[in-house]
Amino acid sequence: MTQFEELQQAIIDGKAPASKALTETMLKAGIRPGEFFPKAIIPAMDEVGRRMRECEFFIPEVLIAARAARASSDILRPLLVGDEAIRSAGTVVCGTVKGDLHDIGKNIVAMMLESAGFKIVDLGVDVTAEKIVDAVRQNQANLVALSALLTTTMVNMKSVIEALTAAGLRDKVKIMVGGAPVTDAWAHSIGADGYGKDAPAAVELARQLAAA
Amino acid sequence: MPDQPTHRIVLRPVQTELTAPAGTALRDLLFAQGVEFPCGGQGRCRGCRVHVLEGQASVNDAQRERLSAEELANGWRLACQCALEDDLVIELRQWDAAILVDETPFAFEPRAGLGVAVDLGTTTLVTQLLDLSTGRVLAVRTALNSQARFGADVMSRVQYGVAESGSHQLCHMIRQQIGSLIEQLVFAAQVPHGEITDVVVVGNTVMHHLFCGLDIEPLSRYPFESERLGLQAFHAGDLGWKLSSEARVRFLPCLGGFVGSDILAGILATNLSERDDLNGLVDLGTNGEIVIGNRQRLLCASTAAGPAFEGARISMGMRAATGAISEVAVEDHTINCRVLGNVPPQGLCGSGLVDAVAAGLELGRIQPSGRFTGGAGAWELAAPVVLTQSDIRELQLAKGAIAAGIRMLLDRFGAPASNLKKLYLAGAFGNYINRASAQRIGLISFPSEKVDAAGNTALLGAKLALFRPEGEDGSYARIRHLTEHVALNADQSFQDTFVEEMAFPNMGARVWGLGAGETPEPNTQNPAPRT
Repeated sequence: MTQFEELQQAIIDGKAPASKALTETMLKAGIRPGEFFPKAIIPAMDEVGRRMRECEFFIPEVLIAARAARASSDILRPLLVGDEAIRSAGTVVCGTVKGDLHDIGKNIVAMMLESAGFKIVDLGVDVTAEKIVDAVRQNQANLVALSALLTTTMVNMKSVIEALTAAGLRDKVKIMVGGAPVTDAWAHSIGADGYGKDAPAAVELARQLAAA
Repeated sequence: MPDQPTHRIVLRPVQTELTAPAGTALRDLLFAQGVEFPCGGQGRCRGCRVHVLEGQASVNDAQRERLSAEELANGWRLACQCALEDDLVIELRQWDAAILVDETPFAFEPRAGLGVAVDLGTTTLVTQLLDLSTGRVLAVRTALNSQARFGADVMSRVQYGVAESGSHQLCHMIRQQIGSLIEQLVFAAQVPHGEITDVVVVGNTVMHHLFCGLDIEPLSRYPFESERLGLQAFHAGDLGWKLSSEARVRFLPCLGGFVGSDILAGILATNLSERDDLNGLVDLGTNGEIVIGNRQRLLCASTAAGPAFEGARISMGMRAATGAISEVAVEDHTINCRVLGNVPPQGLCGSGLVDAVAAGLELGRIQPSGRFTGGAGAWELAAPVVLTQSDIRELQLAKGAIAAGIRMLLDRFGAPASNLKKLYLAGAFGNYINRASAQRIGLISFPSEKVDAAGNTALLGAKLALFRPEGEDGSYARIRHLTEHVALNADQSFQDTFVEEMAFPNMGARVWGLGAGETPEPNTQNPAPRT
């Protein structure tokens, strides 16, 4: 097993200390920070996404795997500043919409997007449309990811899109939505650019939207 | 074998008459009539005892253990242990006297007139007509909440209600339905309408607001707090009910958030607010409600458990009705399923789901992570009923939410779990869930002897409120003052606790019988090994 494969395994198994130690060892051995994402972290989280889809992994396993990925990427990010910076896949402003406090689904999506190389600006829960508009402007984000878990709050996704339009930012960002009551049809009806039915689908969608 | 004869059974004091094939379990017959089986019909309590006035009902070991020789000689039986073998006339202890959850009689001032207690559930309505001079139940009627066609859970009801004139429609609908159930009670008991002087209704905050015609918009969004939680009083005439127009109708106050007067009633029924020691009450439903405390302080919370306990979003899930697998027991390394109504299995209800997963863990078919061992996609329990991987995931969400809620309230109270003297399980599901299985899956992490099925505490509390009108107008100011509502979702550590509680406890290799009344101690708190 190569060291990259070992690191992949540590992430998939959710072993944060091992992931951190391996990353440090590999850096000392001269592996360039820029190699970790394409060769270990991204493929590991893609595998986690696959297992989640196939019901093999559930929320706890995905969260601990994401934590293990973060243990590695936290070491790497400061080293990636400057000439060796990898091309960021994009900047995503994400949050759970106003009136809604559900956090877990949004956190999983945020962590998986982060592991896929996106820069994440997580605004948390009960987020107003204004806050999202401000964050998009400040961070020059190219993606907005909105979550809602209640039928009574998903209407607020529409308000966010309207606020982005009013602020003249609608053509600068792609908007993706998700959460238990959200459907593809709903996403279309409010003028979102896409719907992610689960976290792996959200990552795939973000890649497509960022590339478009 | 000769043709199977049928027998007639008359229930007193309500004078209901039923006919069923010989051999039918009394439990199945009586369950359909609203009789409760506190231990889940396992012969472990005395809650379902009946007095056989005419006819024969056999005695078995379980009954000899729970009933004295004198009681047996006088015709007392445990309904859950009897099958129909003769024409019977029986009297139900549950309906006969005013008794509390622990079977102690409750004190009341006998007075003239009749009263009606209503448990207005999101799914089910239960009504009882009572003689206020004796405490006797004169008639019982249950129905599915007619609002259910506008959404099964409270949030979809709220969503419908916040839309234009939606709440007006839901209000009208439920008032009319309860009014018609009361008419049925009156008809069944053959009493004059005019003698009903008091009606007490309890329900969660959404039911309270919809019945009372209050604005439910505050319940549609964070922080999910309404300002109008108090007692609401009406005259029957205002509601269009065919009673004396002066008859008093009271909807008891709510406690905070979604925790309503059904839980206030549960506190009354279990005496939580009057005791020095620490006790708890859990109502397992789509919205799991939890209260813990003593006479000085009570904490309550609700947690969205999802519909798994009611058999919804389960691939072959169904309500606890004929054809549902309601119990799964491990015997000789294999499983044995009990089907309600003694017909071929058609689906799996909440108690069967909990049992099935407990059995799967026991047999090593399910890992503590919730994954089927060896990556199987489904497990056939009894053809054609199967348990799928995603069913287990639904249960993990439901049980994680409840277990995390209990843990958070105990933390907030500042008491170790071992300080809890009793945990009462309320509601229909609490009646039927096997406590050993609930412990095995980590839903209720307390030894079985600390866990008591308390039956319909909402209805019992509503009855108490009917009988204790003197000096208590129904506002229950002291209890409301003692009670703090904890908004779990707003607490960041709740999310972590919830995720932790999604795993099943790792019980190691210890083998114990499911449903055999054995009470295993969790022998380890190790995190679940990952497959």
